[in-house]
Amino acid sequence: MTIARELFISTFLANISFIVFLPLFTGILLIVLPQRFRIFKQVFALIISIITFISALLIYIAKSAGRYVNLFNLFPLRYLSLSEDFEAVTGLAVLNVDNLAKLIVLFVCLFSVIIIIYSFAYINKANNIRNYYAYLMLTLACSVCAALADNLILFIIFWGFLCLTLYKLIKGYDEESSTAATKSLILIGASDGFIIFGMAVLWKIGQTMEISRLNVATNNFLNVFAFFSFLIGSFTKAGAFPFHTWIPDYAKKAPASSSAFLPASLDKLLGIYFMVRICKDMFVINQWLTLILLITGVITIIIGVMMALMQHNYKRLLGYHAVSQVGYMVVGLGLGTPLGIVGGLFHMINNALYKSGLFLVAGSIEKRTGKENLNDLGGLSRAMPLTFIAALIFSLSISGIPPFNGFASKWTIYQGIVDFGKETGIANRLWIIWLSLAVIGSALTLASFVKFITGAFMGRARKEFNKVKEVSTVMWLPQVFLALVCIGFGIFATNLVLPKIFAPLVGDFQYAGSWNSSTISFLVLISIILGFLIYLAGNIKNMRTADSFVGGEKIQQQTGYSSTEFYKTISNFNIFSFFYKKADNKRFDIYNVSKDIILWLYRRFSTAHSGVLSSYAIWFLVGLTIMLILLLSFI
Amino acid sequence: MNSLIPLFIILPLATAILIMLFGRLAKVLQKALPSAVLLFLTGLSFYFIISWDSGIYIYEIGGWGPIDNIPISIYFVLDGLSILMLCIINLVGFLSGFYAISYIKRYTGENKFYALFCLMIAGMNGVVLSGDIFNLYVYLEIAAISSYALVAFEVEKEKLEASYKYQVLGCLSSFFILLNIGLLYWYTKSLNIADISRIMEASANKNLIIFIQILFIAGFGLKAALIPFHAWLPDAHSSAPSPISAMLSGVLIKAIGIYLIIRLFFNMFDITYEIALLITVIGTLSMVIGVLLAIGQWDMKRLLAYHSISQMGYVIIGIGIGMLILAKGGNKSWAALSIAGGLFHMTNHAVFKGLLFLNAGAVEYTTGTRNLKELGGLSGSMPVTSSTSLSASMAISGIPPFNGFFSKLIIIIAAAKAQYFLLTFLAISVSIITLASFLKLQKKTFYGKLKNWNLNKIKEAPFTMCFSMIVLAILCIGLSLLIIPGIRENIMIHVVYTLINKSNYLLILSEL
Repeated sequence: MTIARELFISTFLANISFIVFLPLFTGILLIVLPQRFRIFKQVFALIISIITFISALLIYIAKSAGRYVNLFNLFPLRYLSLSEDFEAVTGLAVLNVDNLAKLIVLFVCLFSVIIIIYSFAYINKANNIRNYYAYLMLTLACSVCAALADNLILFIIFWGFLCLTLYKLIKGYDEESSTAATKSLILIGASDGFIIFGMAVLWKIGQTMEISRLNVATNNFLNVFAFFSFLIGSFTKAGAFPFHTWIPDYAKKAPASSSAFLPASLDKLLGIYFMVRICKDMFVINQWLTLILLITGVITIIIGVMMALMQHNYKRLLGYHAVSQVGYMVVGLGLGTPLGIVGGLFHMINNALYKSGLFLVAGSIEKRTGKENLNDLGGLSRAMPLTFIAALIFSLSISGIPPFNGFASKWTIYQGIVDFGKETGIANRLWIIWLSLAVIGSALTLASFVKFITGAFMGRARKEFNKVKEVSTVMWLPQVFLALVCIGFGIFATNLVLPKIFAPLVGDFQYAGSWNSSTISFLVLISIILGFLIYLAGNIKNMRTADSFVGGEKIQQQTGYSSTEFYKTISNFNIFSFFYKKADNKRFDIYNVSKDIILWLYRRFSTAHSGVLSSYAIWFLVGLTIMLILLLSFI
Repeated sequence: MNSLIPLFIILPLATAILIMLFGRLAKVLQKALPSAVLLFLTGLSFYFIISWDSGIYIYEIGGWGPIDNIPISIYFVLDGLSILMLCIINLVGFLSGFYAISYIKRYTGENKFYALFCLMIAGMNGVVLSGDIFNLYVYLEIAAISSYALVAFEVEKEKLEASYKYQVLGCLSSFFILLNIGLLYWYTKSLNIADISRIMEASANKNLIIFIQILFIAGFGLKAALIPFHAWLPDAHSSAPSPISAMLSGVLIKAIGIYLIIRLFFNMFDITYEIALLITVIGTLSMVIGVLLAIGQWDMKRLLAYHSISQMGYVIIGIGIGMLILAKGGNKSWAALSIAGGLFHMTNHAVFKGLLFLNAGAVEYTTGTRNLKELGGLSGSMPVTSSTSLSASMAISGIPPFNGFFSKLIIIIAAAKAQYFLLTFLAISVSIITLASFLKLQKKTFYGKLKNWNLNKIKEAPFTMCFSMIVLAILCIGLSLLIIPGIRENIMIHVVYTLINKSNYLLILSEL
């Protein structure tokens, strides 16, 4: 028994050292290797990521083998003979392998494998990024370590390095793309600064720096300030209002695989993971903070989706949706009830699945057509059937249509809100507002994805796309795989996914309404088949084909209707047009606003530096005199 | 160990004279000798730091014994802070000198360049080793005057103007420093730092001491380019040839500015709350205003120069918070943490700012301009410069795992621990603006579209330049190891404890 136990523990530790150190060393190795071993780098990265994924899976399956693991007990480091001077280091290097961390690590590894497979064909010589695979591996390593780290200092080291890999995974080939890279790194770097501020305050308060042992009450100003500092960190990473503005820019200009990897999946996983840690483990939040969280959540939902409605560039559109969806997670987690947290986490996973899938679809479209604008696209469904079906499934998932996974998680969040409304409290009494805004957001998401699907895949096939064909296997395989997972998570939501994967994270929770996802899916399937049968049995022979009806005008071969035109109505609407104009001028962008303020200050100070020597000498003397007067008169 | 101390001054001084005399005859000698000497001295200073047993070593020149208990001989005093400074000076000096072998080829009068370079290093080594305040002034002037000449080395209109401004303001501060030394000598009848400290402890004319302290702050503050005494720095540092800019920004302002403030205010004067507060306020002003001035610059080296002001602000607030805690009689270990953060940041700054100036030099060497509006898209053709520059930029902006992150972290945590939350907040905001301005530099220089250069001309810098940049880039990551508790205790904390325990320093009196 004990031998089996020891063997189990040693394999467990070995697996952890695999997921922590393998990608890290691989990343460093790949940076050192010269550029011309590109194929080797690809294959090597794939092999390592698969090994990492398997290890993560084994860790996930292994039920509780010692929650705390010290880095210095792991494979390469355990052979270091540390002198007594280094005792203190080992205290910092504690990993907390709890259920939540295991789940995050598993999905981080899964997405790495998928993205690396996709990159095989997507990243070629033409759009090669220097050290692309090396930075992917480093991103993987740092994400895993950040999710596992128990000590905040260890956490911030890995977390902070992620913004650099984000910066390196976009190619600054022109003004706009390098601006997007710069903006992302500045915003995320700034948020890391806030996390450090929060850490400094925690240090002052005198609590430990270990996440699992922190339990700070939010009853005085300083603690609330620390709470918000941490929250800014997680919000910026995940992309919640008002720190979301880097995501659309990044998504527009970065390679689709980078967008699918970082802003769409890993940053969401980590950002929301950190938010769970903040709200659940590190701080005890009060009802006012709950209210603020919920308000931010619904604002994120609405703003994100309203901006998405207006986009013509499909990658930017997806970028705004990457913002909007975060709102649901924030609302779910902000509720603070077990059901809400489960809903938020479930939505986080689902969103990572379909959003990275959508970015992969976008990458495939871009690869085959070379167009970035929805107006220039159309009728690709025949040419790229697999991509189309995957895109349709992702779009239905993100819009919350049953039986796909997006519906399951949104439904859980709605249930959570309704449950939440039964309690007493400021935020609780307003439950109907949260619920209605969340539902409206979902409807608007559907509206904007109708635009995406029709704009890209429906309508007349354009002449210029005659030669367009389906993307290569390594590119459609990840898309189809993600689509299947979306369906699977949707169909088995209540009887497999929620109880088996998410219930262990928070403990028991109860549904108010009874709903069984598999039964519903079955019914949906039956109704579709029935409908199809009726269609077949009915007057199929009497059917005639006709051209599209365009109000009596003669249809011309070149005319394709542009689906984006329909959405102009919204932006022309009086109230909205005002805000949209302001948004176009970046008046709401926290980055641009602070940039303006700083440059204003720069101009004030720089006018004083005239280059006249005598005035510089006068500064010296004036400074000296002021110091003398101050000190000698006060003493 | 004792007998090796004077090598730090004799060797560069002798090299300077040899090059002056024979440099024209043996071209190889004048190029190789400074690097060889500085490499040896770097090795020696690293040997010191490894074998140092936290004692204080004294080397006596001349052999005059004390008269009436007043030490009149010239002493070199080697303690933790001096060793740290020697490491910084000689390491950055070696790398800049090696870098200059390729860089300075384009100019005439190479032998003058190397001679002045060695003279400047001799001066700085002398400043950090001097145990008495008058020799300190002499070495300070050696370093400063050779730097005036080096700033004007390219002999163009702007360079001469910058050098002139630098000289006038530098002389102004030197005048106040000399006046101060005279006052101290009049008051204490001694020039030895430890002796002066002992005498002032015994009898204190408070007003006079405060007067002297403020004059020192202004004087050394100008050398260290703290606001409002900073005005010479952007011109001087951007006009000098790049290896010299690296020395000026990376080392000189620390050796003859920050080091002396630390040395005199910890080891010679008693720490008082008012002076500590004043130093912290000046540090904060430098930190905030420096970065605000930097962010809008379009001249690459001017931008870097303004950042030196801002980064010196970090060092000074680290020191200042430590002094404040000590003056209030607070927890000594927090004070030590804060001071260690300041010193750590000073070390890091020498590395990354040196590297950034060398990068700017490499860019200017290849493209002939350092105007950010004209540059762009160099990352493909200059991979070494671009990647080393990125690591230095990340280090100065405090992105983990580079060294700047850890030193800023210590300063920020110490500020919060001492309850200066505004200072904590400012330090973080300045760090963010620093990040923004360095990303601007990266974007404008290395990313974006390649401008209409003659593409054949754009290639990576020569070997010696790349070598120096790569070594410094490795140090940008490698120095983060100083944060690891075992190493930290062995190096940084020892340095700090000899600083804050004034009685330790006064022990040298018994050995005289």
